[in-house]
Amino acid sequence: MRVVIGEGSCGLAAGAGAVHARLSELFEQDNPTGAELGITGCNGMCFLEPIVDVYDDEGSLHRLVKVQAKDADKIHAENIDDYLAHGGYQAIGKVLREGMSQEDVIAEIDTAGLRGRGGAGFSTAFKWRAARDAKGDRKYLICNADEGDPGAFMDRAVIEGDPHTLIEGMLIGAYCIGAQEGIVYVRAEYPLAITRLKKAIEDATARGYLGKNILGSDFSCTLRIKAGAGAFVCGEETALIESLEGKRGMPRLKPPFPAQAGYWLKPSNINNVETYANVPWIISNGGEAFAAMGTKDSKGTKVFALTGKVVRGGLVEIPMGKTLREVIFDIGGGIRDGKEFKAVQLGGPSGGCVPASKLDTVIDYAELGATGAIMGSGGMVVMDETTCMVGMARFFLDFTAKESCGKCVHCRLGTKRMLEILDRIVSGNGEEGDIQKLEDLCYAIKDGALCGLGQTAPNPVLTTIRYFRDELEAHIDEHRCPAGECRELITYSINKDACIGCTACARQCPVQAISGERKSPHEIDPALCIKCGNCKTACRFGAVVVR
Amino acid sequence: MSVTYTIDGVEVVANSTDTILTSATRAGVEIPTLCFDKRTAIYGACGVCLVEVEGVPKLLRACSARPQEGYVVHTDTERVERARKTAFELLLSDHTGDCRGPCKLNCPAMTDCQKYVGEIRDGRYKDAVSTIYEAFPFPASIGRVCPHPCEDACRRQLVEEPLSIAFLKAFAADRIEADGDPYVVQCEPDTGKRVAIVGGGPAGLTAAYFLRRYGHAVTIFDKQPKLGGMLRYGIPEYRLPKAVLDREIEIITNAGVEVHTGVQLGRDIDFDDLRRDYDAVLLALGAWRSLNMRVPGEDLEGVVGGIDFLEHLGHDERPALGDRVAVCGGGNTAMDCCRTAVRLGAKEVYVVYRRTRAEMPASDVEIEEAIEEGVTFKFLTNPIEFYGEDGHVTGMKLQIMELGEPDASGRRRPVPVEGATEDVAIDNVLMAIGQGANCEGVASELLTQRGTIACDELTFRTEMDNVFAAGDVTNRGAGIAIQAIAEAQKAALCINNYLEGDEVRRHVPYFVTQEKTPEDFEDEPKQQRAKMPGLSPEERRSNFEPIYFGFSEEQAIKEASRCLECGCHDYYDCRLIRFANWFDVNPDQFAGQMHKREDKQVVDKVIMHDPDKCVLCGLCYRICDQEVGKTYLGLYNRGFSTEVNPMVPKEASAFCANCLKCVAACPTGAMKSCPSVERVTEIL
Repeated sequence: MRVVIGEGSCGLAAGAGAVHARLSELFEQDNPTGAELGITGCNGMCFLEPIVDVYDDEGSLHRLVKVQAKDADKIHAENIDDYLAHGGYQAIGKVLREGMSQEDVIAEIDTAGLRGRGGAGFSTAFKWRAARDAKGDRKYLICNADEGDPGAFMDRAVIEGDPHTLIEGMLIGAYCIGAQEGIVYVRAEYPLAITRLKKAIEDATARGYLGKNILGSDFSCTLRIKAGAGAFVCGEETALIESLEGKRGMPRLKPPFPAQAGYWLKPSNINNVETYANVPWIISNGGEAFAAMGTKDSKGTKVFALTGKVVRGGLVEIPMGKTLREVIFDIGGGIRDGKEFKAVQLGGPSGGCVPASKLDTVIDYAELGATGAIMGSGGMVVMDETTCMVGMARFFLDFTAKESCGKCVHCRLGTKRMLEILDRIVSGNGEEGDIQKLEDLCYAIKDGALCGLGQTAPNPVLTTIRYFRDELEAHIDEHRCPAGECRELITYSINKDACIGCTACARQCPVQAISGERKSPHEIDPALCIKCGNCKTACRFGAVVVR
Repeated sequence: MSVTYTIDGVEVVANSTDTILTSATRAGVEIPTLCFDKRTAIYGACGVCLVEVEGVPKLLRACSARPQEGYVVHTDTERVERARKTAFELLLSDHTGDCRGPCKLNCPAMTDCQKYVGEIRDGRYKDAVSTIYEAFPFPASIGRVCPHPCEDACRRQLVEEPLSIAFLKAFAADRIEADGDPYVVQCEPDTGKRVAIVGGGPAGLTAAYFLRRYGHAVTIFDKQPKLGGMLRYGIPEYRLPKAVLDREIEIITNAGVEVHTGVQLGRDIDFDDLRRDYDAVLLALGAWRSLNMRVPGEDLEGVVGGIDFLEHLGHDERPALGDRVAVCGGGNTAMDCCRTAVRLGAKEVYVVYRRTRAEMPASDVEIEEAIEEGVTFKFLTNPIEFYGEDGHVTGMKLQIMELGEPDASGRRRPVPVEGATEDVAIDNVLMAIGQGANCEGVASELLTQRGTIACDELTFRTEMDNVFAAGDVTNRGAGIAIQAIAEAQKAALCINNYLEGDEVRRHVPYFVTQEKTPEDFEDEPKQQRAKMPGLSPEERRSNFEPIYFGFSEEQAIKEASRCLECGCHDYYDCRLIRFANWFDVNPDQFAGQMHKREDKQVVDKVIMHDPDKCVLCGLCYRICDQEVGKTYLGLYNRGFSTEVNPMVPKEASAFCANCLKCVAACPTGAMKSCPSVERVTEIL
């Protein structure tokens, strides 16, 4: 028997460390079956954290398809032997021992139909070929682990739980393009990921999987970590390269693409963590096995960070081609508290909101793109009827405006002005023509911004205009927030017929805005009320009304 | 390897190092850019060089995109236009400054006051006069009589008092006249087109001057015996000596203007004939009719219109006045009338005005000088009846008024005090309450209800294709001379468009402006406004001698040195404002938070960087790094808060090469070299 504690950042935050300590104590006192105690990274079921998995002979409790997550939940994140015991480093072994050529490997990736998992979905094989064919005395392979979308933590889970998979995937990539050095650009906000990856690199180097003449071949490759300082734009590949070079993180113009002139103007290949993590599986199981999953143009599996108003939030890895409905309702268990599904936000600040009418859209780069959202890196935020879509668009725009690097005019000033317009709309000061103004700005910014951050920043606003125009108009024309979320447009009051005078609301009010005698209806003073919503949460009789 | 492609239909051959921008520029297709400079690596920040290529889904940045064989590039599609224009509007929505000084912007003729004041300060009087002549051809006359809206706007008043801009103008003109080096009008080669101008006043003469410059033949018809219009027949000699006016008219007519005086439209010449015989007609008839007061008794003998009265003076007549003269009205014409009455020997001169001194439209100095000359002001009175004996006026009944609520003009409305009247014995009344146009001979369909000529406010074109109008005769009617001159200047431009077969339109230029308060100038040392030397009140009461002597050179230079130089130093080289006007921007639609960084960077006494004018093109710091090999400048902060700063502010001087290449590279006025003595010493 094996007992595994999920000790990713999320698990630790939920108390996994204390659970581990206590279990260790207990195991020392009494362990008749000789059960092993192990740790792993995130196992995806965030809604249950902290999680202790008990494995008997029948294996995992999980029923989800796993490619890059593989046996992650059985693997001790800081133990290379665990990785090796579960088939680790066999893919690179296959490449080097069987004498696969660079093209052989890339052809396999091509057969698999692997596309970049960072968001844009560019063909991995195409990029690798371009970097391989580029002339240069030195080439670099870079891993983008600057996962910056709010609410996204797929890459962190991989590095924390199974860092060797990433290393192995990168090694194969480096072999394919002829790079002698790999760099993992991890955001500094991921200290646990950095610690574990650092240990994994040390262990892999000690065992000869990294360094000179790997597995006795001519192939040599080292790997190092660069901690990013937390700028969202550094997830954009050229800004990431600038940052790697020690410069201010601002995007470069493309072309030239990194494959021609990347890090220190040398040919470089950049993929994100999840993309590399898929590679060992593809080499071990064959491209066709990978391509057997998914749709015509979107192959394999994709990990999503399912969050928001869903019953079971967490990381889910699913084969492409499933519908949004299946993910949200079958896997996620539907909407919490019996509320109505309203929209799902995909792709974070670069993505958009998909409404209920589009729930049967299949997960596929083109299909999702057609809704106005994007596949993105895997953020999937579910919203119910209490979520204001204007507020949602404002939230993401606030994010991009703050994260704009300031280099190009359209992004630096365009997002700022859009944010100001949205700010006045959610505060009830919207003006006639604001929607048109927003749309004009959106299209000008998409055309004019220098990098992906700016070019996609209008997407959340555009989908709100496209699917929730009536909600925008209610804010502007009627100074009303239909979802009852925009503070400056709502008032809290108590329905006297429903209130039984239990005083629960008054006790929760932080500003003493609620008065009333015990057992008689209470009242809210609108002049004092700060619209925090505590009363509504506290009331068990539905007597607090938001208008 | 070269490639051939087309841009806006122009075939371009590009070599292997070319981008679309470099090759198109060579082929004469201008693509705007703020951040490109061939000395630095391609940067791509400004996003105004976007072009659309057929078959390419994204717009491309011309500064970086390499043309490919057979590319069909467009710079004029709606999509390109929107993306570029939005970039300029966004930039301007956070651009603080004054493209041009408030003086220039407040002058109806947009005279470049800051420029000529600076030229006077530098002793370059001829240049100063040439600068004025770019706006209008009466520096000496207008310098003497203009109520100077420029000075009303002058920011120096936030320190102490506005600059004496108008008198400086007269000084420069007088000076080059005295030097025997007068301005000579330079005309384009003859176009063969002919323009008839009816009215030889400030508007007609200004139009004649500009039309001659454009190369058109001009004929002026005027009803009076001499040219000059109201400048001659409406303004008394003591304010504008006829000799000065004659010289300025001569400069215009010397440029080859055919003049017919003593000719009246509708009597001696026919409107339709003019339209037929000339390629274009400009009606600059002025406003020569004194408005009536609609008060009983105003047809009595001795009650005359102020304009008519002054016109007699213009004809060198000396109308006989009694001892007691009442002038009704509070404008500059009323002041001219009362001061003339004093000079003609009237013993008691009253100005009857229904509001108070604060509301008087007349210039303050005119009021002050009238008081000095002994004029009595009867404020808050309104004549309700003139009465007389034997048909001649002998007295007037005045209604006493008080100020009530503000009216549409913002001035408090005078309302009668019930039952309060006053009787004043008088021998003459001069009515100066306003002027109307007299458009006899003009086709009636061109007239407004008030009898002026209706024309477009921008182009000054009437309903009739080849007929334009300018000056006091248009739309709302009479104003000050510089307004009439300004209309003529603009009308001449539009007539030129018309004659050249272009679309008759006038682009109203866009300028960045800002508001300032006295607090902004707390550190500015105070320097008193120059006082114009002139005759004492006693000396001037009895004659029509010019009352002002004009500034001495020393005085003029000192006064000119008070200029705060509000207008941006980089205006003529600023790419941002040029493109803003190219794209006809409307940045107000994106009005929002603007940077207001008080701590302007004065660095090393060499460079001054104004972050509020910075467009973050990055040229300064890139030139510093890539061209000069220093890394003195760099970007700070992120997003909207991004700004250019010295990398090591504290030890700045150790890093800066003092080369000023950053200043030269800046596409706007954000970088400035500091003209300090210390700097010169250091560079030496």
